Amino acid sequence: MKITLLALLMIAPLAAQARNVDLSTVPKRNTVQLTIYNSEDLTLVRETRAITFKKGANPLQFSWANTLIDPTSVELKFITSAEKLEVLDTTFPHDKPQMLYWNVQSEFDGEATVEITYFTSGISWSADYVAVADKDEKQMGLEGFVRVSNNSGEEYEDAQVRLVVGTINLVEKIAQLAQVPMSAVDKLGEKNRSELRLRVAKDAMAPMAGAALGGGKAMEEKEIIKEGLSEYFIYSIEGTETIRNGWSKRMRSFEAKSVPFKIQYRYRPAEYGDQLVRMYLLTNKKEDKLGTTPLPDGVVRVFRDNGRDGLSFLTQQAIKYVPIGDKIELNLGPDRNVIFELIKLRASRDEIWMHVDGVDVYRRVGQPGVQVEVNSSVAGWDDHELYTQRVRNYTAKPIEVEVRRAFPGHVVFRSQLKATAHDYQTVQFTATVEPGKKSDLLFEILRHEGRNSKQNNVTIEETEVKP
Amino acid sequence: MPRSLPIPLAFIAICLCLAPIAQARIKLITLPPRERVEIQLDNPGATLVEEERIVPLIKGENQVDFSWANTQINPETILFRVIAPAAEQKLDVKVLSVSYPPNEAALVWSVGASDSGSARVRISYILGNLSKNFAYRAVATRDESKLVLAQYMRLQNLANEEYGKTEMWAGFGKEFLKPIGLNETKEMLMAKFANVPIRKTYTASLSEFGYLDQPQQKLRIPMHYVVKNDKASALGTAPLPEGKVRIFIEGTEKEKATTFLGEDWGRFTPIDDEMRLYLGVAQDIVVKRTIDRNDKIRIAGNLFDHAVTIKYEIENFKDSPVTLDIVENLRQIRTEVRGSDNGRDVQWELGKDTTFEGGPDKEKSTFEKQVFHVKLPARGADGKAEKFLHKLQITLKNEW
Repeated sequence: MKITLLALLMIAPLAAQARNVDLSTVPKRNTVQLTIYNSEDLTLVRETRAITFKKGANPLQFSWANTLIDPTSVELKFITSAEKLEVLDTTFPHDKPQMLYWNVQSEFDGEATVEITYFTSGISWSADYVAVADKDEKQMGLEGFVRVSNNSGEEYEDAQVRLVVGTINLVEKIAQLAQVPMSAVDKLGEKNRSELRLRVAKDAMAPMAGAALGGGKAMEEKEIIKEGLSEYFIYSIEGTETIRNGWSKRMRSFEAKSVPFKIQYRYRPAEYGDQLVRMYLLTNKKEDKLGTTPLPDGVVRVFRDNGRDGLSFLTQQAIKYVPIGDKIELNLGPDRNVIFELIKLRASRDEIWMHVDGVDVYRRVGQPGVQVEVNSSVAGWDDHELYTQRVRNYTAKPIEVEVRRAFPGHVVFRSQLKATAHDYQTVQFTATVEPGKKSDLLFEILRHEGRNSKQNNVTIEETEVKP
Repeated sequence: MPRSLPIPLAFIAICLCLAPIAQARIKLITLPPRERVEIQLDNPGATLVEEERIVPLIKGENQVDFSWANTQINPETILFRVIAPAAEQKLDVKVLSVSYPPNEAALVWSVGASDSGSARVRISYILGNLSKNFAYRAVATRDESKLVLAQYMRLQNLANEEYGKTEMWAGFGKEFLKPIGLNETKEMLMAKFANVPIRKTYTASLSEFGYLDQPQQKLRIPMHYVVKNDKASALGTAPLPEGKVRIFIEGTEKEKATTFLGEDWGRFTPIDDEMRLYLGVAQDIVVKRTIDRNDKIRIAGNLFDHAVTIKYEIENFKDSPVTLDIVENLRQIRTEVRGSDNGRDVQWELGKDTTFEGGPDKEKSTFEKQVFHVKLPARGADGKAEKFLHKLQITLKNEW
């Protein structure tokens, strides 16, 4: 333990610290609570210690050598006998950067509980998920995990751990402040830094009354309690945890069994590249056995029961925060049993407009008659392209295919595909392809070019197109 | 320095009740061996190893240590699943948490058990440097009408870990139960397809294969074996993954030994598609291709049609008849007659002076690529080859 609180037993003026013989007592931590933010390298630590005060001045030394505590954030509060105790002054000695002295004036002799709060960097948490689809690919088991890593330089034993999901604003990085001695902090230019940060974190600073002690129940998995607070979501790990310096610990945050999902094949080059990909689509909602919590950013690893008493690894994918009720879309990549081809069947041009530049008149010497030639160049035309989007399904099940294609320019999209406009230049259509079959999805593109181009949108016309 | 010990899984019976592992000074470790290993090779980009072990547990909380020094296990992918109690007993087993010690390729599962007993657990992880590829061996019959196609999976183990009897599965075909040692490569016969019909092709395609002799405008005529991955060809059960194909031809009845014809990369071939294997250049079929006419017809101003006639002078010096495929790319023709490709689609029409019997092959042709077939008889008894003349008439329309 590198963070220590010493009750100094000499009534010496704080300025006269250059002494060689010293005596102090070390009040231990009673409770500690960590509130860890994953959007920033920030953890709010609240710890309580019991200190015996004597009437008069009581010097307290608080030090945090080789840790990543922001010195501007350290605060001392009195939980008991607050009316009889007062911090007269706080001193940051110039020669010892990671240390401070509180001069506490007490009106009584006896024990009081103090609470020390500070920000530290080096403790982080992240979420990850494991999805295992059943062999028929209709339902999946989805487990969420949180992993807390402690590289703060300090051991936190039996700590109540709370994880904040959501983004907060910081004006300076805690890790930077931790490297700067207190005497230099003001030179950084900003006033009220700690106040700003405290205000941001204030909502998350629930009282510690709920912080139970002990190592938890031996057999039962700890519950992670989720609650919404302001714009944030807080995960509180049941009981207390010891996360040693340098270690990380991963716990299950939720487990959902038999979550229904849908399979869709998608061609969306802007999102998934120039390939048809297979998707698992599910929704973070109660009806689908989820929806108890928003899902924080994290990596999803997707497996499937391969029907042979083992798993197949399908993909791993980073997902962004998924609010309750929102969709979860897992891209499994291309399927080698579904062949997706765009074949051009025909191309032609018409509605060609010439721009007349002028007229040349020729007359052959010694001959009657003249020849008139009109000079002109192509100024506008219509391009017609007939395509088939061919999908061959060699899987054992019917598949649903959704295609989005962008056609920039002044374009008319003609087909019987019941296409819709995804945006001003992107057409979307869907089809179902039976197992072992191929589908030819025919469409014609009419592109107005040059002076024939009057706008920049795709118009969809539902009409028969023949190959 | 390769490790010969397998990835250890240690069940730590801690004498200090519930103390965190790093604090336990006295510890007793049992090392549950692997009962079963499976290597799942169905993902093209990742190899999943699954191992089953029987782990003794005591009632309450247990520490199970898993370490993987010097191997490329992706620690984020390690899964611990309880399959069943090892014996017929009621045992409820659950992973309570996982701890990762600093600077060590290891983790410690905290596992809760409702009673003392053994549990069958399956540990899965993605392992690097354990990779597979495919290879083929094709033996053609003497008349080059059929092949015996053998498909092999090669597993290369540079993962610094050895696995005893291991079930391996490529995602299709049969499973294998074999050991795979350190730095070992194992080639396994996946499937053998007999009587696979092949088509031997001779192709004249300027855009794809270029000239053999450009000043004389003689085209390079490559030979291929074409195998169709469908049921009619005794294939078509799964896509053929890409891999090197070594091609042999049967020996004579007297000399049974096969002769090596060459090798080529077989591309990934979906069901119903063709795998085309390059055999070399046919020197005995001569195709001279010239642009016979290029008439520029002004429509208006700078807008033209081009009436193009391409002439082919074809000779077969072989002792056997062959079918020659002539492939023309319309963009290539436009670039030849106009000097550049303006990027626009080629609008074209086939002229009536085209001499190829039956017109273009509708199945093999696309809008920008036209395929014609020409049947060529064997050269005469006097050793002379007949010269055949063919013409392709194309009108490129609305060019500027």
